[in-house]
Amino acid sequence: MSDRIVWIVAIVDLIAIIYIANLVRIKRLELKYALIWFLVGILLLIFDLSPNLLYNLTRALGISLPINMLFFLGFGFVLMIIFTQTIVISNLTRKAKRLTQEVGLLNKRIDNLVERIHIDEAKQGDLKENIKEISEEEN
Amino acid sequence: MKHVSSDRRKCLVIIPAFNEAGAILNTVRDIEKNAPSFDYVVINDNSFDGTREILEENSINHVDLPINSGIGAAVQTGYLYASRYGYTAAIQVDGDGQHDAAFLEEMASALYESDAGMVIGSRFIEKDGFQSTGLRRVGIRFFTGLIKLLTGAKVTDPTSGMRIVGKDIIDIFAFDYPKDYPEPETAVVILKKGYKIKEIPVKMKKRETGKSSISPIRSIYYMVKVPLACILAAWG
Repeated sequence: MSDRIVWIVAIVDLIAIIYIANLVRIKRLELKYALIWFLVGILLLIFDLSPNLLYNLTRALGISLPINMLFFLGFGFVLMIIFTQTIVISNLTRKAKRLTQEVGLLNKRIDNLVERIHIDEAKQGDLKENIKEISEEEN
Repeated sequence: MKHVSSDRRKCLVIIPAFNEAGAILNTVRDIEKNAPSFDYVVINDNSFDGTREILEENSINHVDLPINSGIGAAVQTGYLYASRYGYTAAIQVDGDGQHDAAFLEEMASALYESDAGMVIGSRFIEKDGFQSTGLRRVGIRFFTGLIKLLTGAKVTDPTSGMRIVGKDIIDIFAFDYPKDYPEPETAVVILKKGYKIKEIPVKMKKRETGKSSISPIRSIYYMVKVPLACILAAWG
């Protein structure tokens, strides 16, 4: 790789890391889920700045071209990230379901309470009428 | 709110309904007539065909889910309701009239008279009434064998939707219930937790309207998902 592309990749990578950090700072991204992206960014930076490391790793694993090693690593990361997201989605689905059920049950309780208040009010109204009638009769 | 002492027997019929405007009223009236000792609750899974209006106009006890959540979540809402309001037995009846409300009382007394956690209405004890179709019966027999293998217990009709459960199982279902096709899986869950399942003979009607939820394509999903769920449930 030429020096120029090394620096371009490094700068873009750094910008990406700072961008993710900023998203975490302004609470748009949960730090827990940002960690894996920081890891990707930092590893990319390390491989970018020390090409020998990538080359040696490629040879050690018996892979013929460094670029294939990169593809392999990238694929591994993508699988890992998608899998963690599947877990997160399952969790969210479970929570949304329970919330939906709670809202349904709460609405029912509110309806029951409102109905009971109406009945109580009606009863009180009748009571007042009766008292009025009785006191009028007495007078 | 209903406050009920814990020693009293209180049975709840859970009726999940998604777009059942045509059948829901008959189902409820059938229960009121043939199983008067039961309370019922319709869980309206965000229907858009006027089911909700029918329920409200007729003052039918119901819970409206604000988001369509699927059959499993709807039924589980019923178990949550049963758990919170102190019911000692709960049974699911579908909104489409395939079950016969006349059997509800019989199933409840079978539950209270036995030490079983769940009573299943089985079509295959007296081999009476609608017996399901050929290929489906092969599937049912497969699940009978699988459950026997996993738990050692014999359940002749593990896919039967007519199942009444007691207080302990109500709480288990309120906590965790499958998203869809729960019957064989929950049987394994209950047996693995050490509860017994009792079966009594029932007659089932052929469904009046609508199609089975298990169409040819869905049956592939069923035969992959449900055995796997059973095995995972047996695992612990």
